[in-house]
Amino acid sequence: MLKAIYNVAIRECGIIRTNPIYLFCMVILPVIVVIFFTSLMQKGQPTDMPVGVVDQDNTPTTRQMIRTLDSFQSTKVTNYYNNINQARQAIQRNEIYAYIYFPRNTTANMLAMRQPNVSFYYSNASITSGALLYRDLKTLSMLASASMGAAKLSAMGATNAQINATLQPITIDLHPINNPQINYNIYLTGSLVPATLLLFISLMAAYSIGTELKFNRSKEWIKASNDNIFIALTGKLLPQFLVSLTVIYGFMFYIFQVLGFPHLGGTGSILLLGLLAVLAAQGFGIFVSAIIPSLRMSMSVCSLWAALSYSLMGATFPLVAMDSPIKAIAQMFPMRHFFVIYQTCVFNGYPLINVWLNLLALIIFAALPVPILKRLKRNMLLFKYIP
Amino acid sequence: MNKIKEGIKATCDAWWEEMKNVFKDQGMLIFFILVPVFYPLLYSWIYNNEMVRDVPVVVVDNSNSSLSRSFIRAYDASPDVKVAYQSININEAKTLIGKQLAEGIVVIPADFHSKIERSEQSTISVFCNMSIMLHYKAIYQAATNVAQSLNQKIQIARSGSITERDEQLATSPLNVDDVALFNSDGGYADFIIPGVLILILHQTLLLGIGLSAGTARERGLYANFATVNRRWASTLFGKALCYFMIYTVMAAYITMAVPHFFGFVQMAEMQALIGLMIPFLLASIFFAMIISNLIRHREDVMLIIVFTTVPLLFLSGMSWPEHDMPPFWQGVAWIFPSTFGIRGFVRVNIMGATLRDIRPEYIALWIQTIIFFFVNIVLTILAKRHNLPK
Repeated sequence: MLKAIYNVAIRECGIIRTNPIYLFCMVILPVIVVIFFTSLMQKGQPTDMPVGVVDQDNTPTTRQMIRTLDSFQSTKVTNYYNNINQARQAIQRNEIYAYIYFPRNTTANMLAMRQPNVSFYYSNASITSGALLYRDLKTLSMLASASMGAAKLSAMGATNAQINATLQPITIDLHPINNPQINYNIYLTGSLVPATLLLFISLMAAYSIGTELKFNRSKEWIKASNDNIFIALTGKLLPQFLVSLTVIYGFMFYIFQVLGFPHLGGTGSILLLGLLAVLAAQGFGIFVSAIIPSLRMSMSVCSLWAALSYSLMGATFPLVAMDSPIKAIAQMFPMRHFFVIYQTCVFNGYPLINVWLNLLALIIFAALPVPILKRLKRNMLLFKYIP
Repeated sequence: MNKIKEGIKATCDAWWEEMKNVFKDQGMLIFFILVPVFYPLLYSWIYNNEMVRDVPVVVVDNSNSSLSRSFIRAYDASPDVKVAYQSININEAKTLIGKQLAEGIVVIPADFHSKIERSEQSTISVFCNMSIMLHYKAIYQAATNVAQSLNQKIQIARSGSITERDEQLATSPLNVDDVALFNSDGGYADFIIPGVLILILHQTLLLGIGLSAGTARERGLYANFATVNRRWASTLFGKALCYFMIYTVMAAYITMAVPHFFGFVQMAEMQALIGLMIPFLLASIFFAMIISNLIRHREDVMLIIVFTTVPLLFLSGMSWPEHDMPPFWQGVAWIFPSTFGIRGFVRVNIMGATLRDIRPEYIALWIQTIIFFFVNIVLTILAKRHNLPK
């Protein structure tokens, strides 16, 4: 039996060698995707986003506030405008993402205790930049209010601790666990890249089975495995499995070891997750091509499925916030379970028992082809490819 | 005169052939009709709730004082979070996160209230599960907002001022208003859907056209097409015309009807929308026709197109601001019509930008259209030379 599997695997290696699309989709494109995401977000967080200023007051006090705003990590004051209309149009032209507006007499009103208004307008069209700018604004407004009080208190002889306690009796001490720099690379690469890898793996599984029919080799394939569909499938997918497993382990080695992404779960959980992911994606691909023998249809289903998994895994917009039917539908995507296991066990280091249902789901995906092996064999022997 | 007439006829023939193809071929029907019609609805449904509300949080209240309870009450009342559990210690709270029953922990220290009474600074610790950014944002922002308003109350109580105005001035001598100009509730769907919609148009065009070219190549039509049909220019035009006609309908449906169905922000002016979508569709069509030259077998197109979807979304600068992208990737972004299509459409649709405001985008799209068109002509001539001797 091992010999038969070996023979089919050798035959498959021959196919992989002659068709460059295998090399492309199993190695080259996945590597490009890994490089793309990790290099695009290598800074971790967008910094120095362009912000405009409409300063109709133009006093040392307002200029000081502008300098403070400019010194924040996410914000960079780039342009000055005469009125708010010009500034608003600049946002529409994508030159700036936000602007701060000081009306005339801001400083005078502040000194006269008339509580002037300073306005900060920011665009939420992109909520990433919107959230970061909002955070800087909150800091600025706190500093601005506090600086006056602090000056008064220190003139009265209060110590720093007293000033802090008076101005901010309660403070929040924030602990972003495992991602203290709020690094977007860690947050997004860990979920988007595996989604792409799983997409390729399931597509390639469907492709390699469907092409047997398309190029009229299916009978020869079944024959090479002594008429045993189990041997045929194992042998056929073994080379792909080994290559994809290497790629996914290589990716994990790169992000966890080279880039140092947090992985409290340790090596064991990483290896297990990688293995289950490859098996589940292949199982899904085989399953689809077994129920839909037509190559173009099975591949369409796989691609449409994979395209949805980017959203339905719930990494960007959480699944709990979606409608109930969608929550149910999302369970039919291997990537959803991958993500839950990844974030609970690998990223946060909780024991695997917490996600046993998701582990079970991945195993079920891997075993999906088993009940329909017979059907797959019949398809291979009887189905005719219609161009 | 006759030549022109013949040319027009050949163009119409090519158009008719391709049109029949689209509706006869299962694969093309899926990518040209079904996906553009149903995928936008599906994605809109996924993101329809817009907001992340009531993120579950565990509170460990070691102080158990009236002040800590009022903090917890106010925190629970914030729209974005809910106090789902109260634990006696942080280890118990951690297991709740492991079981995915909560996303964050708020720890109030035992001396919380007594410190305030002693006029010292008191610290509340907030721990966030960082696996989903929106959860972190909700937990953290709600905590700072509640702390800020409690701070004001404490300050007012201490200041012993006489009038309300005195209190206002004491707590904030300068008022800083924050105004979210566009997408003012920060809705997730309003943010992501415009990009997704444009991307659906772009990707289905690439898939459909690639599929059509792959089929033609498999059936050996390319050899025929160069020799039998000498009017290659007419074929090019006819095909492009067919795609353009189908996609003007799809683009109208996707950019106008879909956001309307779901009540997403829609500030697009007709003139700007048309001025953007025409060059976008043309550039995408000619771009897709270039890519389709790479397709040997019809199914290969799915292998090389589908995975680009999310990278293209990132290249457009939606998730990661474009000015902060490494220069190399900014350059790569310029190759794809989707980049300018998304940038233009986001601003037209969410910010109500006029055609003048998106000038760089639509000019870039026209330049792409022209370049891609000529590349297509060169490729066709090369293909013709290549095929003739056979």
